[in-house]
Amino acid sequence: MGADSGSGAAPGPAVPWRKVLWERQPFPDNYVDRRFLEELRRNEGLRQYRYWAVVQEAGLVAQQISCVALFLTLWLYMEQGLLSPSTLLWTGLLCALLGYGLYQALAPRGDSDNHHRTRWSDLQSASIFLSFTFGFSPVLRTLTESVCTDTVYAMTALMLLAHLVAFPYAQPSPPGSLSLNAALFASVCLASRLPGDLHTSGGLDSSSSPSSLHTFTMLCWALLVFALWPCLLQRLRDCAPWVFGCVCVLVGVCGVGGLGSLWPGGAVLLAALLGTVTLLCPLLLIRLQSDKDNIQGPWDEAEIQEDLTHFLH
Amino acid sequence: MVLKIFFPQCCNKADSGLLVGRWIPGQNSAVVLAVIHYPFIPGQVKQYIHQMRGQSGVDLTVLGSWSMPKEGQEGMESFLRDLSTIFPQGQWLQLSREMGKIGFRCHVLTRDQNGKLVQQEKELKEDGGGEKGGTKRGGGEKEVEGEEGGGEKDKVIFIHYEQRKVMLSQLHPIDNGVPDPQTESQLPQVFGTVCQSEPLFFLDKYDDGPVKMTHWQSEGREGSIIVELMKQASTPVCLLTTWMLTLWTSLCSSRKANIFVSFFVDVSLGLLLVSWMYRENRIGKLANTLVPAADHVAKELEELLQWLMGAPAGLKMNRALDQVLGRFFLYHIHLWISYIHLMSPFIEMILWYVGLSACLGLTFALSLLSDITALLTFHIYCFYVYGARLYCMTVYGLSSLWRLFRGKKWNVLRQRVDSCSYDLDQLFIGTLLFTILLFLLPTTALYYLVFTLLRLVVVMFQGVLHLSVDFINSFPLFAMGLRLFRSYRLAEGVKFRVLCEEPGTPLHLMMDINPLKVSSVVQTYRTPTYSCYPKDSWLALCKKLFLGELIYPWRHKTTKID
Repeated sequence: MGADSGSGAAPGPAVPWRKVLWERQPFPDNYVDRRFLEELRRNEGLRQYRYWAVVQEAGLVAQQISCVALFLTLWLYMEQGLLSPSTLLWTGLLCALLGYGLYQALAPRGDSDNHHRTRWSDLQSASIFLSFTFGFSPVLRTLTESVCTDTVYAMTALMLLAHLVAFPYAQPSPPGSLSLNAALFASVCLASRLPGDLHTSGGLDSSSSPSSLHTFTMLCWALLVFALWPCLLQRLRDCAPWVFGCVCVLVGVCGVGGLGSLWPGGAVLLAALLGTVTLLCPLLLIRLQSDKDNIQGPWDEAEIQEDLTHFLH
Repeated sequence: MVLKIFFPQCCNKADSGLLVGRWIPGQNSAVVLAVIHYPFIPGQVKQYIHQMRGQSGVDLTVLGSWSMPKEGQEGMESFLRDLSTIFPQGQWLQLSREMGKIGFRCHVLTRDQNGKLVQQEKELKEDGGGEKGGTKRGGGEKEVEGEEGGGEKDKVIFIHYEQRKVMLSQLHPIDNGVPDPQTESQLPQVFGTVCQSEPLFFLDKYDDGPVKMTHWQSEGREGSIIVELMKQASTPVCLLTTWMLTLWTSLCSSRKANIFVSFFVDVSLGLLLVSWMYRENRIGKLANTLVPAADHVAKELEELLQWLMGAPAGLKMNRALDQVLGRFFLYHIHLWISYIHLMSPFIEMILWYVGLSACLGLTFALSLLSDITALLTFHIYCFYVYGARLYCMTVYGLSSLWRLFRGKKWNVLRQRVDSCSYDLDQLFIGTLLFTILLFLLPTTALYYLVFTLLRLVVVMFQGVLHLSVDFINSFPLFAMGLRLFRSYRLAEGVKFRVLCEEPGTPLHLMMDINPLKVSSVVQTYRTPTYSCYPKDSWLALCKKLFLGELIYPWRHKTTKID
C-alpha cells in the first residue's frame, strides 16, 4: 500500500497504472500512484461572513424573542389587573387596522385586480377568526381549571420554546404550522389562568375562572403577535430593509422596557440574552469559521446540479 | 413372506369343514369368515358363495379346509384333502387342530404351473434356517425353492379375532372417499371384509339352509335377537321393540345418532326445568323479584354517575363537561325506570308463558335467558354506545388535529402521512380545537371506560350462556356413550397378544381392538353448530377498545353491499 516508491514488490511499471475500474492491471487492488489525493479539496463551500450582515440576520431572532417577551408582559399586566381587558382589546383592534393599512400600502405595485379579491377574503378570514374565538371563549376559559398551575406554566414554557425553535426565520410570511400552533396552544394555556371578574367571585376563591372577555382579548393578541406581525415583517424586509433593522431594534427596546416595568431582573436578563444573540453569536460564528476543516473529493455523493427554476412559476 | 391368517375365535371349536373367507390382495394374508360343515354338496356350496359374493360385494372364496377330528371321524383328513381338487384355488390352506392341544397346524398347498397342487411347506420350526422342508407330492418334479428365492421358510401366523366385535367396530380415522383396494393397508381391509360380509352371517348351522355354517351367530349372543324377534313379530309389544331396534340400527351413522341423542337429552332437561319452575309457583316469585332487581341496578348506576360527576378517584375532570354528561345519563336512567314500572303488571304473565317454551329444550331456555338479560340491560348498552361514539370522535379528531399541529396531512389516496401547507385560518381554528379536545380527553375517556366495563360484564355473562348452549348442542353424547360402554365400536387400531408360541406349531396371536382415545372421540364426532364465536383475536379487541370502535362480539360477518 502507498506510493510506488518503497517496497520493491511493486511490479515493474512497464504498463503505467490507470485509474480505471474494469481493466485488469498487474497492480494490487489497493495500489495508488503519486497522484493520490490530488483531487482533495478543503473547505470548498466556505462562505466569508461579514459581521454586520450576520448581525442583521440575527436581529430577526432577537426580534422574535422580544415579541414573546412582549406577549408575556401583556399577560402579566392582565393577570395583575393593571390593564382592563376592554382597553387592551380596543388597542389590539386599532393596531390590527393600522398594520393592515401598512401592509396594503407596502404591497408591490402590479396586479391591482387581486387587491379587491384579497381584501374580501381578508375580511372573511377576520370575521371567521373573531367569531370562532368569541364562540369558543367560554369553553376555553375553564379548560385548564383542574390542571395544576405549575403544569400549566411548564406547558406554556415548553410550547413557547418550541415556537422559537420552529419559527421560519428565513421566510416568516407563510407562518410555519408547528410554530404558530405551539404559540397558540401556549396562549390558550395562559389565557385560562387569568383571574376572573372580582365582582362575581367572592375574592377569596383562588381558582376563580377568568371571564370570557379576558380569554378573548388574550387570543386576539396572540393572533396579532404570532400570526399577523410576521407577515408585516416580511413585507417590510422585502420593501425597505433599513426600516426592518430599525423596527427590530424598536421591538427589542419595547420588550425590555415592558418587562422592566414589572420585573426589573427579568428585563436585565432579557437584555443580556438579546445582546448575546445579536452581537456575541455572530462574532462566535465568524471566529469559528477558521477552525473549519471540511474535505471534499470525488468520493462524495453526487449532487444533481440541475436548474429547476423553469419548473417554478 | 409371512402368511397371516385371521381366524375368528368362534370357529376355534367348530367341526371339520371348509373355510370360507377372503384373500387380501397383495398382502399375503387371508381372513377366515366362517366354516361350512359336512354334509354339503360342493355345487351348492359354490352357488351359495357366488350368491353371497354378489350380495355383499366381498370377494368370498373357499380358502381351504379345517379339520378338528372327533371320535368316529377318521378319514376326514383325506376326504378334506381331496376337496382341494374340487375347488380351484391358487393357494389351499389345510388347517388342523387336535383335541386337547392349543396350537393349530397349517399346510399350504400352492398350485404350480402344471395345475396341480404342491405342498409348499411343513410347519414352522423355531430354529428355522436354510432347511428345505419341501417334500414334493403329486406329479411333476418341481423345485419350489426356486420360486421362493432359496431356502426361505414360509412362516405362518395365526391372528385370532373376535368376529362380532370386529364386525361392529368402526376403524378411525374414517376415510370418507372410496378406498382403492390395491393400496389400502391391511387392517382397514380386514375390518372392511368382516364388516361387509354381513349377508354371510344370516344363515347359521341351526337354520335350514343349503349350507350349515359356523360363525359368530353360533355363539348365541344378543345379535341374533333381531332374527328371533322378526320371527315373533306378531305380538304388538314385540312390534314396538322391533321398530325401536330397527330405528336404533338405522342410526348406525354415528353423526345422526349424536344429534338425535343430544336433542333428546336437551328436551328432557328442558322438561325437567319446566316442571321444577312451575312447581310451587316459582315463576311468580321470579317475576316478582325482577322489577325490584331492575330498580336496584338503576339505583346503583345513579350512584355511579354521581360519583363520576364529583372527583372520581381523585382524577381531575372538566367540570362543565362532566356535569353535562352526568345529567344526560341520569335522565336516561330516569326514563328507563319509568319504562320498567310501566311494564311491571304484565311481567308475570309474560314470564309465565315464556317459561313454558322451555319445554323445547334446555338450550332454548338458556337462549331465552340470554335474550332477557340483553333486554333488561338495554340502558347499559345505550350508555356504552354513547360513550364509545363520543370517545371515538374525540380520538379521531385529536389524531387528525395533531397531524395539523405538525404541519402534516393524511393522504387518503396513498394511505400515508404527507406534509401540507395550511392556510392561516385553518391553522388557527385547528389549534383551538386541538387544545379543547386535548383538555377534554380525560373526561370523555373516563366515562367511556366506565361504561365499557359495564358492557363487558354483560357481554361476558351472555357469552357464558352462549358457550353452554353450544356445548350442549355439539357434545357427542352418543359417541361418548359408545366409547364408555361398547368401546370396541370405535377402534383406533389393534394390539396383539401372544396366545401360543410352542415350537412345532405356528405362532398364535390374539388381536384386541384398541379403542379410540376419549379426546379423539370428542374431536371426531363433534356436531358442527352454527355458533358465533368472536371473530376478533384478543389483540384486535384491545385495539378496538382503545380506539373507541364499537364491539359486537357475537355478530356474524355479513357481506355488506355498499
